[in-house]
Amino acid sequence: MSVALVKERYTSKVGEVVLGATSEQGGTRTSTITVGGDSALPFLHFEGELKNRPVIAMEVNDIVPAWSESIMSQFGDVLNNPAVWAKKCVEEFKADLIYLKLNGADPDGENRSPEDCARIVKEVLAAVGVPLIVVGCENDEKNNEIMAVIAEAATGENLLLGLAEQDNYKSITAAAMVHKHTIIARSPLDINICKQLNILINEMGLPLNKIVIDPMIGGLGFGIEYAYSIMERARLGSLANDKMLSMPMICTVGYESNRCKEANTSAEEFPGWGDLQDRGVLWEAMTASAMLQAGASVLIMRNPAAVRLVQKNIADMMSK
Amino acid sequence: MLIFGERINGMFTDIGNALRNKDPKPIQHWAVKQQEGGAHYLDVNSGPAIPTEERVEAYEWMVNVIQEVSDLPLVLDSTNYNAIEAGLKVCKRPAIINSCPAEQVKIERVFPMAIQYNAGVIGLTMDKKGIPKDSENRVAFAMELVAAADEYGLRMEDLFIDPLILPVNVAQEHAPEVLESLRQVKMLADPAPRTVLGLSNVSQKSPDRNLINRTYLAMAIACGLDAAIMDANDDDLVDVAATAQILLNKSIYADSYLKVFRSR
Amino acid sequence: MALTGLEIYKQLPKKNCGECGVPTCLAFAMALASGKAALDTCPYVTAAAKEALDSASAPPIKAIKFGKDSVLGDENVLFRHDKTFYHPTTLLIRVSDALSDADVEAKVQEINGLEFDRVGLHYSIDGVAVVHESGDAARFEKVAGMVAAGTDKSLLLLSSDPAALKAALVPLASRKPLVGEATAENYEAMVNLAKENSVPVILKAEGLDALNDLAEKAQALGYKEFVLDPGSRKPVETLANLTHLRRLAIKKKFRPFGYPVVAYTSNPEPLDEIMEASVYVAKYASAIVLNTSTKAHILPLMTLRQNLYTDPQKPIQVEPKLHTVGDVNENSPFYITTNFSLTYYSVEGEVEATKIPSYILPIDTDGTSVLTAYAAGKFEPEKIAQAMEASGIADKVKHRNIIIPGYVAVISGKLGELTGWKVVVGPRESSGIISFAKSQLG
Ligand code: SF4
Repeated sequence: MSVALVKERYTSKVGEVVLGATSEQGGTRTSTITVGGDSALPFLHFEGELKNRPVIAMEVNDIVPAWSESIMSQFGDVLNNPAVWAKKCVEEFKADLIYLKLNGADPDGENRSPEDCARIVKEVLAAVGVPLIVVGCENDEKNNEIMAVIAEAATGENLLLGLAEQDNYKSITAAAMVHKHTIIARSPLDINICKQLNILINEMGLPLNKIVIDPMIGGLGFGIEYAYSIMERARLGSLANDKMLSMPMICTVGYESNRCKEANTSAEEFPGWGDLQDRGVLWEAMTASAMLQAGASVLIMRNPAAVRLVQKNIADMMSK
Repeated sequence: MLIFGERINGMFTDIGNALRNKDPKPIQHWAVKQQEGGAHYLDVNSGPAIPTEERVEAYEWMVNVIQEVSDLPLVLDSTNYNAIEAGLKVCKRPAIINSCPAEQVKIERVFPMAIQYNAGVIGLTMDKKGIPKDSENRVAFAMELVAAADEYGLRMEDLFIDPLILPVNVAQEHAPEVLESLRQVKMLADPAPRTVLGLSNVSQKSPDRNLINRTYLAMAIACGLDAAIMDANDDDLVDVAATAQILLNKSIYADSYLKVFRSR
Repeated sequence: MALTGLEIYKQLPKKNCGECGVPTCLAFAMALASGKAALDTCPYVTAAAKEALDSASAPPIKAIKFGKDSVLGDENVLFRHDKTFYHPTTLLIRVSDALSDADVEAKVQEINGLEFDRVGLHYSIDGVAVVHESGDAARFEKVAGMVAAGTDKSLLLLSSDPAALKAALVPLASRKPLVGEATAENYEAMVNLAKENSVPVILKAEGLDALNDLAEKAQALGYKEFVLDPGSRKPVETLANLTHLRRLAIKKKFRPFGYPVVAYTSNPEPLDEIMEASVYVAKYASAIVLNTSTKAHILPLMTLRQNLYTDPQKPIQVEPKLHTVGDVNENSPFYITTNFSLTYYSVEGEVEATKIPSYILPIDTDGTSVLTAYAAGKFEPEKIAQAMEASGIADKVKHRNIIIPGYVAVISGKLGELTGWKVVVGPRESSGIISFAKSQLG
């Protein structure tokens, strides 16, 4: 006897956002990336269309990062050159796009000038054809300065710029509007602030399809379940036509997972946890996999070995 | 919480005249205005303005002129099922049939028509003998409508039970019974049918109608009301609907939730 | 869960004879739904209807118990934010009877070693799946016996040959293993074998329609201790099947699927396999049978399982007593935080990374984070002063400095007054501790 399956009837879908711009569209990218657009819960092909597969952005820093040796060694000698590093991510590790984090802008560190930052962005743009995500350092004021300059220097490229936050969204939103970029709206694990921030940004005149949500996740073992539930609720909201929560979601998987002790501590120190090599890779990859199941569209990752696993997992989930 | 805008009704002088003179303007004016106010559906009722034999044609005309200016779905409100059917034929989006009492003959006419046109049905908790006084009998009628929906294959979410509120100035004892009915109806089936009220009726001929409407709407939503045929241009009333929805955790809170509720 | 009027009405004879005391079957259904009548008052209800009504009021997914405290199923929601997930996915490691004795022993030993401690919690692997692949019934029986002797964990005995299964099961029946698998071809023998030995049995069919048929036939044998296997081995199909089964059980109370579900991984590479398993942990598998038993692979999976099965209403807490990081001495810095496990362990991890031995005192804030605790009046200077007093920190360090979270800088003055200690405002996020320590404590 055939079973009458339960298929949800959703009234809406996840918003679609295009990242990057080709020369016809006013940029210089060789291809663009479209995220979102799904009309079903993650990977449930039977109840709707999963229009665009989730993508992986690999992280590149403008200064040599203090990452674990097992990650750094996979990159060889490119870590002091963001453009070459980015190229390697795209060509060798098949990153869908590049996430450029400008830690060097930090006034407590290198204190790079906005012009310097913009020059690095241009260099990376020149080195790769994929779309770019650009985020500043930990200092809000400085970020506003550099983002204004970067947005202008890369006019028309449709960068994904971060971060717009509840108490600091106006300047970056204005820059994105004038120079035709998309922005990341970040809220601290709070679905109400997340929605409100989207409303505020939208009220300034930036269309909803120029916003990507960063719900601020936790790493595996360190609060990932909070982000998981918030993202599931947002995804259900977008399918139920909550327009102000319907943007695609981006997750800082590499940063959060590699902050966890389990991703860094050697087996000598904690014999009970097994070898660090596979453990570290899986810590990042599984953080990604959980976020995919909760509805992430863009994963920002670091470890090339973890990227490979997640690429395979996405391929498994998208195969029909 | 769905708002069915009540204003396109031949009982209002401007709409009555529009129908008689085939003047689309007042009808279109209210279609747009109610949409702006926050209506999700537009109730369409020709009322007594035109003779029965012209209703079928009038109905079709009304639906068409509304659809020229608004893409909202419609609630076809008439006791003349042929007129409703004429309207259903030209509706661009799935409509709701308003209404069908718990009477076998009418059920047999309305439910198959709803299936045929992929429409919803507002089911009234009454029969030929009229509106029951207590919640128990209202719910019994609701159950008959639920059983009918199940039999004809109408999805429960497409059945809107209306437990029929009466004016508080003459039938005060009905108000709590209707609230109790709203609660009970939700337990008749799983998924449950939806519920609706012709809200403005509660305040007929009372002074300070708006206050009564607002208060009763909040109470009813707390008891499980899903939709109301109401004044979509009473901003305070629409605010009550939006706020009640937030307070029941039915949509996700944001500081600007009122604005979001209107700007769909 | 209470039955709705409609569910009851559908089971009534619809004679409308009024013998039950109300005029119609519809009215009787409503009286039943609201608990105002008993089913027996209708003389015409059939036994089948009675049975259907009884089982409809049972939980949507039956709890299946086996082995050493393993509980499968008994879940009530599709999303953890709707309430919580109750019974963490049972993880079973596969041991084939085609392995040599030495390999079986080595594998069992490795499985026994899958015990982990992290963030104050203990994880241990649930059990072993002994799989009949040798084609030799005697070998299966022997390996099952070896595994049982080698571990006290829960057992799953898997063979499609009823005779082989019987031989292996009977001596181990007291361990109450889960057994399988019953298919359309062998289900009578399998289910009866399980029934005789009072153990749960896996029903396996290719696809949901076939599984439905099998479940109905198996139920007709008068047994209800089942675990379902929809047969798919392709990850995206398994995800779809797990979702369908959970939805039908919970949203439709579809009885043939009112049982927990087991998933099997198919990716041959261990890391890919763990990634695949993470999907089934998130989406509705009550048990997963895995190949890899390497510590570094199992720990991330068990961590994910623990995270997702944490009750969203009950945050995990650490003991609000003085904790030490490293080899503390009288000069060790002294940090204050909350007893919300996540907050505490983030702080602890970062403090550890400063490489400066330190004291951390988590204040009992009912497991809330710093900001939430402060807003709720659970992180007040008076309370902190008391906790410091009780902890005896004053006798342990020579200095008189308290490092407090940056978010509660406002309590500095009052806390200083109450304790007489110097209050140092630390970073707002734990991620700032390393640079804070470098500049302030270095
Ligand atoms: S006694 Fe049974 S069959 Fe007769 S009306 Fe009551 S419920 Fe219906």
